[in-house]
Amino acid sequence: MGATAKLKEIKMDKSKFNFQKFWDQYGTFFILAIIVAIFGSLSSEYFLKANNITQILVQSSVTVLIGMGEFFAILVAGIDLSVGAILALSGMVTAKLMLAGLDPLMAALIGGVLVGGLLGAINGCLVNWTGLHPFIITLGTNAIFRGITLVISDANSVYGFSFGFVNFFAASPLGVPVPVIFALIIAVILWFITSHTRLGRNIYALGGNKNSAFFSGIDVKFHILIVFIISGICAGLAGVVSTARLGAAEPLAGIGFETYAIASAIIGGTSFFGGKGRIVSVVVGGLIIGTINNGLNILQVQTYYQLVVMGGLIIAAVALDRLISK
Amino acid sequence: MTSPYIKMEGIAKNFGPVQALKSVNLEIYTHEIHALLGENGAGKSTLMKILSGIYEPSAGKITIDGTEYTKLDHKIAAKLGIGIIYQELSVIDELTVLENLFIGRLPVTKTLGFQRIDWHEMRTKAAIMLLRVGLKVRLDEKVRNLSISQKQMLEIAKTLMLDARVIIMDEPTSSLTYNEVDYLFLIMNQLREDGTAIVYISHKLNEIRRICNRYTVMKDGSSVATGQITDVSNDDIVRLMVGREIQNRFRAIKESIGVESSETVFEVCNITSKDKRRVKDISFSVKRGEIMGFAGLVGSGRTEFMNCIFGVEPISAGRVKLHNEDITPSSPLDALKKGMGYITESRRENGFFDNFSIAQNIAISKSLKDGGFKGAMGLFNQDQEHALAEQQRKLLSLKCSSVEQNITELSGGNQQKVLISKWLCCEPEVIIFDEPTRGIDVGAKAEIYKVMRNLAAAGKTILMVSSELSEIMSVCDRIAIFCEGKLANILENNENISEEDIMKWALPQN
Repeated sequence: MGATAKLKEIKMDKSKFNFQKFWDQYGTFFILAIIVAIFGSLSSEYFLKANNITQILVQSSVTVLIGMGEFFAILVAGIDLSVGAILALSGMVTAKLMLAGLDPLMAALIGGVLVGGLLGAINGCLVNWTGLHPFIITLGTNAIFRGITLVISDANSVYGFSFGFVNFFAASPLGVPVPVIFALIIAVILWFITSHTRLGRNIYALGGNKNSAFFSGIDVKFHILIVFIISGICAGLAGVVSTARLGAAEPLAGIGFETYAIASAIIGGTSFFGGKGRIVSVVVGGLIIGTINNGLNILQVQTYYQLVVMGGLIIAAVALDRLISK
Repeated sequence: MTSPYIKMEGIAKNFGPVQALKSVNLEIYTHEIHALLGENGAGKSTLMKILSGIYEPSAGKITIDGTEYTKLDHKIAAKLGIGIIYQELSVIDELTVLENLFIGRLPVTKTLGFQRIDWHEMRTKAAIMLLRVGLKVRLDEKVRNLSISQKQMLEIAKTLMLDARVIIMDEPTSSLTYNEVDYLFLIMNQLREDGTAIVYISHKLNEIRRICNRYTVMKDGSSVATGQITDVSNDDIVRLMVGREIQNRFRAIKESIGVESSETVFEVCNITSKDKRRVKDISFSVKRGEIMGFAGLVGSGRTEFMNCIFGVEPISAGRVKLHNEDITPSSPLDALKKGMGYITESRRENGFFDNFSIAQNIAISKSLKDGGFKGAMGLFNQDQEHALAEQQRKLLSLKCSSVEQNITELSGGNQQKVLISKWLCCEPEVIIFDEPTRGIDVGAKAEIYKVMRNLAAAGKTILMVSSELSEIMSVCDRIAIFCEGKLANILENNENISEEDIMKWALPQN
């Protein structure tokens, strides 16, 4: 091969690489824009109103929370199918604690952070001890956690707890609803972890190559444990938010939410092979899911059909992303 | 003796710029077991892959049964009855003995116009085959439940199913017990009487003497000698394998820096692996500024030993000492914090992170060393990482357009430099290099040697595993030779030492 030909090849390689990098960073935003444009044109009188956009953000906050947790599990080439059940159990514990007379803040801390983290730790320990794939472990714990929720609630909704709690999450200081602020704060913390801390760097390394990580000195099991604790806490906090928004803890809350969580992460460009992805894109991924949900509601699509459309759109969004990045 | 069944003449094979085979002549007759000898990397496997139609030769011709071929493919090789049994057996554990024998070519019969598997014919044929190799197992037994020796017999039976005229066996006895070896030889003798030709690749000279008729020795991609095994002594064979000339090319790098007088820094006492088989009771000590080479055959336990002293594999006994202080690491992180570094054998599998840039790859272990609990506490600083990478880039003359490039865009040699940098940043006192020049071109090799010698001159202690004797002899101060998991001997590397001296210790004695 001549020197010029080689040079050309390198150049071509470069331009292709740059586009891919560009798409990796901003592709999710484009998909969001396309979806907004579609719904906007189909139902311009309602969809693009400020009120509705606030509504979308509030509705998305739960999806964004569990999506960010899921992001960590997928980042280490794993998965967490138990986020929906953790959400329900954490919400239930929070409600029960408040009924028992605990201060709402304490109840939310124990119910959301502590219970969520603990359930995540159980996932992490089981993955480490058994050496099984997280898919199997969390498939099992999903059923276990859901079962426990049903047992402690006797399969009934739990309501009648403090209005202060409900009102707090219904407020909108400076026009921004509290659940949105809440999700945003968590997003900033997680963004900081992934992009500035050693812990985050180690998790990326582990996701990129488990063997290299081990030989380089990374404690693989410790980091896997941390990853599942993060995922658990995110789902636990989502449980607190959804309990506050509904004004009740539902034992069947969050069923099927793992689909939304995984979809948010994947639409956000997180690689199933591990080691690649950004928290910002996952937040946008969560917004995409929320937007689709909201748009279908506005177009008065029946709930059952919504599921069908939702599934199709998820596949289409990811397929489009892959198609373009090729 | 009549004309040979297989005649290979002037076979050469290039992989890009690398010449794996230069010129090989090989003749194989029916009714013989032919030993193919040579060091690691002499080209035996490449030659056998050409014979079984996996590789296409770059030059030369092959005559089989009177027909001339310039290349073979899988189908022709199968039709001519050439079967190969690899060291790593290819039987499938999850299937039954019967299914394994007929894999990929199940006989079918028609019932009411539908094709179905002819189980009846399969069972009959299989029973005959198993009888022929003397394998007494149920046809419906899962292969998982068979011993290694039984699996090997099954593999032979599988080859015979194809009406094999020539069977190539690559180190078939490496995982067999003595009794199992006897049994294998019995079957091989029987096959020879039936007229099958066997090409037998092994390092075990005494076994070769027991079973083989003729031999061919390969060295550096060429066949250097052939003849009756009874006409040569074991010493002759070793001499032929390693050749007379000692390559002095890199010797110049190794300059005496008065290692003899410096203090002993690193000590290993009685290290034994958990299974007590792959690494047995290894003890030695190394001085400051010394490079200790580790020679031995593939599978002699050198990498496993390095894994043991770096905390990768659990050990059942032994201690590792640095400055007379017990530092036996419990994990790689522990080893790293106590002043060790380990450049692993396989860059892609357990060396670098393909999702990281050059700078990130360099920074990871230092970040772990500096980070508190489990190396996970604290923040990293991108600017510092960048500066560190730039500094290492200059130090090791790393060729890249930017340290922010992804590591997969680099050549093998430069990737290796990145991995060396990764450990140098941690300022270890003892550095392990496992096959540091594998898959690297000659120019980069020389650079890596220079880096290693410079590190030694700067007072680091280096352990270097290599399967290339010339490399070990040109870079190392002393040479430890492993044989079947044990440390066979440690030799001073000086002008009088020859590759033969090393090979003598590396070859199993029984």
